[in-house]
Amino acid sequence: MFELIIIILLIITTLVASVLALVQTDLLKVAILTGVSGVGIAFLYQILLAPDVALTQAIVGGAIIPVFLALAVKKTKRVDDE
Amino acid sequence: MIGVDTQLLALLTAGALIIIGLFAAILIDNLIKKIVGLSFIEEGVNLFIICLGYKEGGVVPIFLPGMDSNWFALNSAYPLPQALVLTSIVIGASTLAVMLALAMVLYKKYGSLSTSKILNHKTDMGDEE
Repeated sequence: MFELIIIILLIITTLVASVLALVQTDLLKVAILTGVSGVGIAFLYQILLAPDVALTQAIVGGAIIPVFLALAVKKTKRVDDE
Repeated sequence: MIGVDTQLLALLTAGALIIIGLFAAILIDNLIKKIVGLSFIEEGVNLFIICLGYKEGGVVPIFLPGMDSNWFALNSAYPLPQALVLTSIVIGASTLAVMLALAMVLYKKYGSLSTSKILNHKTDMGDEE
């Protein structure tokens, strides 16, 4: 029961961060919320009995992809004006 | 009971991530957000493949001394999807880097990240010719 509550909290965190990342006007916030979603998926891999995949996803999804996005935002424009 | 629920919840999460990513990649105008949506689709597909190898009430597929091999074969999670997804995550990161580099080249050429502005700019150039 306790595990189930943790899993539901993780899933809510992941999906809410994913949706919030797509409605921001500041593109740097998009990068940070993408990292939050990646770390949530990494915890979910650990629960699904795949610890090696969880390690890789925690590094790639939590650090490398936000850094790539932040570098691209720095080279282009930060504000998304429609 | 809890294991079945875990697998079902993770499968629903994978489906929701794929739907969110498709929505972003089709309907949102900004190029960076489109690329983030494509990365969400990749993460959803990876999660789906990992879910297929999950075993209810099982153990991590690492063979430790003292384990019976028959018991391990019956109770461990299936390790082949994990080995494949491990490669797929890294390939996804490098694909994202290539897409972001192309978006930066487009910004340098057209001065905007909006896809509708880039398309209008191209048709205007065509009319001038």
